[in-house]
Amino acid sequence: MSLNKYKEFEVNSSSLKEVRSFSREILSQIPEAKNHDENIILAISEAAQNIVKHAYNGRDTSDLMRIEFVYENNILTVNLLDKGDPAIPANIKPRKLDDIKPGGLGTFFIGEIMDEITFKISKEDWVNHLTMTKKI
Amino acid sequence: MSYKITEEGNVSTVFLNGEIDMEIREKAEQVIMPLVEAKKEVHLNLKDVEYMDSSGISLLIEAHQKAGEVGTKVVLKEISKSVLKVIMMAKLEQILNLD
Repeated sequence: MSLNKYKEFEVNSSSLKEVRSFSREILSQIPEAKNHDENIILAISEAAQNIVKHAYNGRDTSDLMRIEFVYENNILTVNLLDKGDPAIPANIKPRKLDDIKPGGLGTFFIGEIMDEITFKISKEDWVNHLTMTKKI
Repeated sequence: MSYKITEEGNVSTVFLNGEIDMEIREKAEQVIMPLVEAKKEVHLNLKDVEYMDSSGISLLIEAHQKAGEVGTKVVLKEISKSVLKVIMMAKLEQILNLD
């Protein structure tokens, strides 16, 4: 099967539950995702949280963020797009394993769950473009 | 998230439920940290927590560290399967007090 769907959400922490709900709905349409869905939902929610926390530094905004799902040939691709501050890729670092501090955990989880993560900055409609893929 | 606190001697047990994410973290922090700062032994019952992300895990780390600083401890009780999975993914099962 193949699938291509997206939805836009307000950039704020109250949207995260909605992001998870939408992700759950999409993943339920992909039978192959059954054993991975809760982890993938965590990765997507963490990436959306990073947009609220870092691209917008927690400030109020009327901007939207877009989450796109593409599934084809057993590869799930999730794109997260936002119009916040351009991220500095060198600053997107996971926590070191032996570093017991609260920060960087979300990025660490994304890295643990997904197979590949790429990040692009564009000057077009969307500024930050995170792509996460997983073979399922 | 809703919660309930029971007290027995110096042990405060906080029963948390629902989803603990970035939005809920502050509320959970306002419940847990004053107990830790009051040097209570804090038991967090996580049986009914359906989802916890890095914000929730960060709070567990901070509460654990603060408890160590003030000479008490935070113990995680009846951890739900989904929360345990995230704790293990963060490789914190040897760091936090799991019961």
